[in-house]
Amino acid sequence: MAAAIETVLNRLREVVGDEGVLADRNELVAYECDGLPIAKGVPTAVVFPTDTGQVAECVRVLAKLGVPIVPRGSGTGLTGGCVVFGGGVIVSTSRMTRIESIDLANRVAVVGAGVRNLALNEAVAARGTPMGATEGGWLRFSPDPSSQSASTIGGNAATNAGGINTLKYGVTTSHVLGVEVVLADGAVVRTGGGLCDGVGADLTGLLCGSEGTLGIITRVWCRLTAGPRHFRTVYAEFGCMREACQTVSDVVASGVVPTSMEIMDGQMIGVIEQAFGYGFSAGAGALLLIEIDGVEAVLDEQLESVVRICGANGAEGVRHCADAQERAELWRVRKRAFGAIGRISRSYCTQDACVPRSKLPEAIEAITAIGGRYGLKVTHIFHAGDGNVHPILLFDEDDADDVQRVLAASEAILEYCVSIGGTITGEHGVGVEKLHLMEKMFNSATMAAFGDIKAAFDPDGCINDGKLIPSDRIRIELKGVTGMNVPGGAG
Amino acid sequence: MPKPLTENTTVTANQPAQIIELVQRCTAQRTPIVDYGHAHKTLGHPPPPDHIQLILQNNTIEHYDRDLVVRVEAGTTIAKLQATLKKSNQFLPIDAHDDMTLGEVITHNVFGPLRVGFGAMRDLLLGLRYIDGHSRDIHVGGRTVKNVAGYDVTRLMVGSLGELGCIYEATLRTSAIPQTVLSVELSIDTPRRLDAITTDLLVSDVGPVHLALHAQANHWRVHLAYFGHTAGCRAQSNALETFLNRFAPELKIDRTQETTLDQDAQQRTRRSQWRRHTPALVKLIVPLAATGAVCRQLSQWATTYTTLQIDALPAHGRVFAGGDLDADSAHKLDLHTSQLAASVGGLRIWYARPTGTQSIDPWPPALTDRATLTKLKHAMDPHNLFNPGRFITAQQ
Repeated sequence: MAAAIETVLNRLREVVGDEGVLADRNELVAYECDGLPIAKGVPTAVVFPTDTGQVAECVRVLAKLGVPIVPRGSGTGLTGGCVVFGGGVIVSTSRMTRIESIDLANRVAVVGAGVRNLALNEAVAARGTPMGATEGGWLRFSPDPSSQSASTIGGNAATNAGGINTLKYGVTTSHVLGVEVVLADGAVVRTGGGLCDGVGADLTGLLCGSEGTLGIITRVWCRLTAGPRHFRTVYAEFGCMREACQTVSDVVASGVVPTSMEIMDGQMIGVIEQAFGYGFSAGAGALLLIEIDGVEAVLDEQLESVVRICGANGAEGVRHCADAQERAELWRVRKRAFGAIGRISRSYCTQDACVPRSKLPEAIEAITAIGGRYGLKVTHIFHAGDGNVHPILLFDEDDADDVQRVLAASEAILEYCVSIGGTITGEHGVGVEKLHLMEKMFNSATMAAFGDIKAAFDPDGCINDGKLIPSDRIRIELKGVTGMNVPGGAG
Repeated sequence: MPKPLTENTTVTANQPAQIIELVQRCTAQRTPIVDYGHAHKTLGHPPPPDHIQLILQNNTIEHYDRDLVVRVEAGTTIAKLQATLKKSNQFLPIDAHDDMTLGEVITHNVFGPLRVGFGAMRDLLLGLRYIDGHSRDIHVGGRTVKNVAGYDVTRLMVGSLGELGCIYEATLRTSAIPQTVLSVELSIDTPRRLDAITTDLLVSDVGPVHLALHAQANHWRVHLAYFGHTAGCRAQSNALETFLNRFAPELKIDRTQETTLDQDAQQRTRRSQWRRHTPALVKLIVPLAATGAVCRQLSQWATTYTTLQIDALPAHGRVFAGGDLDADSAHKLDLHTSQLAASVGGLRIWYARPTGTQSIDPWPPALTDRATLTKLKHAMDPHNLFNPGRFITAQQ
């Protein structure tokens, strides 16, 4: 066995050099999980190619030797999708960090898969616009997952990442014009490219969100769109969650399309106040943050409409701001909220589901009640405008019963969401975490069709097998694992 | 014992089970099922002579109006769908002719000037139901606006030319009908000028929700519009004038008109109507900032050889050119557009070829993803039943 591993490592070193292969057990521990520590597996090695050619050669070497391949960006995923189970080699794109071009006139940037989301956005924003015709005008790659300072564009594409802006601007797939991907046989395929349209079925759309199970994305053509310059931010406090959720539903129904609508419950407000002292009312039952952006001339009218809807739903306090600094501080607090949960619970598990927005009021109550049935406290902070709920289940990781109840409650919550027309994941993906729920979401024919698609790309199951859809070759059982400490990090 | 299918017949299916039965029978009898749509009959290689044509149901199943989401049968025409949505003051923000079915719009990735403000079908489509070549009833996506469960087959099917399965139902986002539509018409000496200013225009406060370029008897016109509240539309229109004075004084606003969404849609349809009837029609997909230059070169070429109608979407790099061309002119146009597309890294596709030009390949040279598409076709339609040979060549 050791000799076989050494053969693999030597072959990989021939491709990427000694510095491109990590095989020290102590260092490999850093790659044993992503943001879902319940799913752990130490890889045999990690290989760090620097270009598509090296990725293709590594894949050929590993496939020929029958070694499972797992692609990985910066490991910020939340579903165990980039973890090796039962031996295998991680192909990391983290050294493919070249921003190859930023073409403002064609509104496209071509980047290596390992370029960080924020790094691309900083580079694009610094360039302004081609003519500089608009003061403060700028372009950007719109997807903004909370992990954007660390997560890679390749990872964003592979998981079809979401974020706070998706309500108005869409998820990652809407901003990817094309990808270069290395398939299981080492072939390099380019879909789309710098053009807005193509011929035939939308392969780019299929590859986005395929969680690295169909191939390894090595290069991405990113669509650049206008960054907003004018904002109004509303924060409204309500006596209860139902009123806040109803407000979201009413804003959606009114036809106004905010950039984002985020809700947190009373418990989260208290936690955030403890941690950051922003000045929210400690006694509020819910807080709704709404941001609208667009043309300055129409913002005040839209703001008025949003404020009116908040009032009609019983908002106890509605404040709004147009000041950039105040706005930035509000969103900074929102993005740091998850880090503060440790103040009220040793451990927590964040779920990710999506429900029709008109059903938010009843859904939040039902989810909280499900937690109660399992003896668990549930708190909420989520992308309400998308119907993307992130219930946070609070528990003690050293209590094996607690862990079991969290797993059971999570499953019940997701099943409930599916039952009202929702989905088991809005933005985190399936990975290994929700593999067992796929059959509750999709009929057997659809599951078989997914299997056929996987087989068309990767007939031998070389790449990220056992993720997204079940595999006969590898089974990953998460239930019953104790010591769970799930940091979440939703949206 | 079911009756044998008569070849070249039209079959109406009311339920998924009926489509499944039809697919099973066609599989057994090796009879292809063909659906090229109303407006795309001439796109791609022609269908095999013996085939079955399927007609699908034409109803809105559910309009979740408070969610701005609608679930519709794929045989529903755009006219019928828009009429249904209008009752709730909503519309489907896509440029498609009234007589096209939703299924046709999806499988041909139909889009137009509105894409600037609302995206294309891949941005609007939330879920699909279709029968695949294994006679399976596949349900992908759903009715939520965010969903990353499973492979995104919903998007895969957009533009698939009806080759991967028979879509019988779709779920889509809708939008609220705007209070005001302000349409603006500009004249421009040379379309190349647009290439330089489009990005700045879109990034500025005068970015429109739709933008199109048309050639009319050697005169170039730009049509754009603002949707929203009256005051906002007017403010944008005024700002547009200031923007143009400063950065593109050669663009002149000829007309500004406050109108309704219906009237605006009719005008957009009217401007693209010629494409439905022209005997020769070629589409170029080019880098965005090459759109104007490509239009200009086509126009110059036309002055030497023939008369061409040209329209383009400068924000999305799409150019259509066509006219009443004879075979000789069409061959020359093919050579010219092929070279033009290659010179800017674009693609050319023939939507309609005049008689005597069947030797012209309707598709651009094979790209690296063609082999992958062929494998997918085999996985999803192993008996090569759906629109066989239209674009993808069956795997041997």
